[in-house]
Amino acid sequence: MILSLRESAKDGVLVRAVVTTSLRLFVGYGVALALGIPLGVALAKQRLVKQTAGPLIIGLSSIPSICWLPLSLLWFGLSETAIAVVVVLGSLLPIAVATENAVRLVPPQIERAALTMGARRLRLLLSVTLPAAFPGILGGAKLGWTFALRSLMAGELLFVSGGLGQLLETGRDLGDTALVVGVMVVILVLGRLAESLVFERLDRVVVRVWGVAT
Amino acid sequence: MSSFAKPISGVHRTSVDRPLRLVTGRAGTSVSLDNVELSFADRRGEQRILESTSLDIRAGEFVCLLGPSGCGKSTMLNLIAGLLAPTKGKLLANGRPIVAPSPKRAMVFQDAALFPWLTLRSNIEYPLRLQSIDQGEREARSEELLRLVHLFRFADHYPHELSGGMRQRGAIARALATDPEILLMDEPFAALDAQTREILHAEVERIHTLFRKTFVFVTHNVREAVRLADRIVLMGTRPGRVLREVEIALPRPRPANDLRMSEIANDIANIIASEVEKVAREEADDAWLAPANSVRVGSHRHLGGSI
Repeated sequence: MILSLRESAKDGVLVRAVVTTSLRLFVGYGVALALGIPLGVALAKQRLVKQTAGPLIIGLSSIPSICWLPLSLLWFGLSETAIAVVVVLGSLLPIAVATENAVRLVPPQIERAALTMGARRLRLLLSVTLPAAFPGILGGAKLGWTFALRSLMAGELLFVSGGLGQLLETGRDLGDTALVVGVMVVILVLGRLAESLVFERLDRVVVRVWGVAT
Repeated sequence: MSSFAKPISGVHRTSVDRPLRLVTGRAGTSVSLDNVELSFADRRGEQRILESTSLDIRAGEFVCLLGPSGCGKSTMLNLIAGLLAPTKGKLLANGRPIVAPSPKRAMVFQDAALFPWLTLRSNIEYPLRLQSIDQGEREARSEELLRLVHLFRFADHYPHELSGGMRQRGAIARALATDPEILLMDEPFAALDAQTREILHAEVERIHTLFRKTFVFVTHNVREAVRLADRIVLMGTRPGRVLREVEIALPRPRPANDLRMSEIANDIANIIASEVEKVAREEADDAWLAPANSVRVGSHRHLGGSI
């Protein structure tokens, strides 16, 4: 396994695959966060959005995100956009749903207290509602991260060139079990790294400040 | 949120450049309710929450709204805060119509409602931040308030690291930060143990005597109302309405175990008992008789009142 990995590393295949996969993950996950959190807030706060987009979003979230890949390939061709769409769709919905929940569960007195102190609209949202909902939103973000990783791996395994998923496929094609297991270990390390560098730190902040666990 | 989210012109810098003022004898009417009524429609038809109510609260007066749950006392407080709009009638604060919440009418909630992600100090500075008051003044002000409520040592604690009583003191300090004219308190001590509550009663009385702000304090605890109020507004249920008003002319500071307080509390408890019985009868929906003397009534309760 180590040997196979070392060989891949030598001709740069492994490094390129790690970089490609990480980039796709960050871009897709970043877009999902940037869209999912505002969407969740709108779902919780705007009745019109809730009534129109709410059922649609629940419906769409029951489609496994990889099922979007064929459509995405038809629309965007064999491109980075196609895989990004799959990653975004995979992680956006759990983020939006968790954000909606978290915002709706903010104790009403917290917002009322802010209103009596003169906070309004955007100021109220940014300085009170979102911080109050943060532990819940973080939970959604963690969920979204694992969904993004899964969608991306599925997408790379199936169609899209480059990345760790494809390296797995290569390993299978060559009957190189060591390579396959090696790449799996690399994927595991990537996932763990994100957990311990980002999410576990944020978890500790939540426990220290809010006094609750997510 | 949306219905409250009107920007109002009343949000402006208050007098933080001045230290906490020791105002004495502010004249005039602070809050005035003129035939205020609140009802809403649900599937059983129109529900009257608060029957037509008129009430004037003098500046610097300590008024307790006292009654069993469902009597509309919290509703009345939310109306004064501007968090609810009345179905009918007019509300004035210092002569101006109440149309939205304002930092001039600060509110303290039952569960303190401190922001859990901010330290105590930052919580107290939050309303000042909203008014774009600069850091130096904010710090001076929050220190002064923290000392006022004896929490300076805990300035950098988060709310979950404080006890219930400390949180309420913090909430009171936060409410005072913008130097409001009126303090609205919604059963702030209901969840505290009896000893902590007594300590906080003394604190509130001290703050009231010190700053002579108008206090409107909601409670269902008769003794608490008698302990604190200049005037008790006794409220009844179904629909919520004012039953009568009782002036409490006892001198301040009031000792926690004053016998005259017990007597007054007893009289008020008698009035409430008949109300509670009425509700119990309604909720039981058939022939219900409250067991005689079950609700804090009876001569053995007079504690030597006839001596």
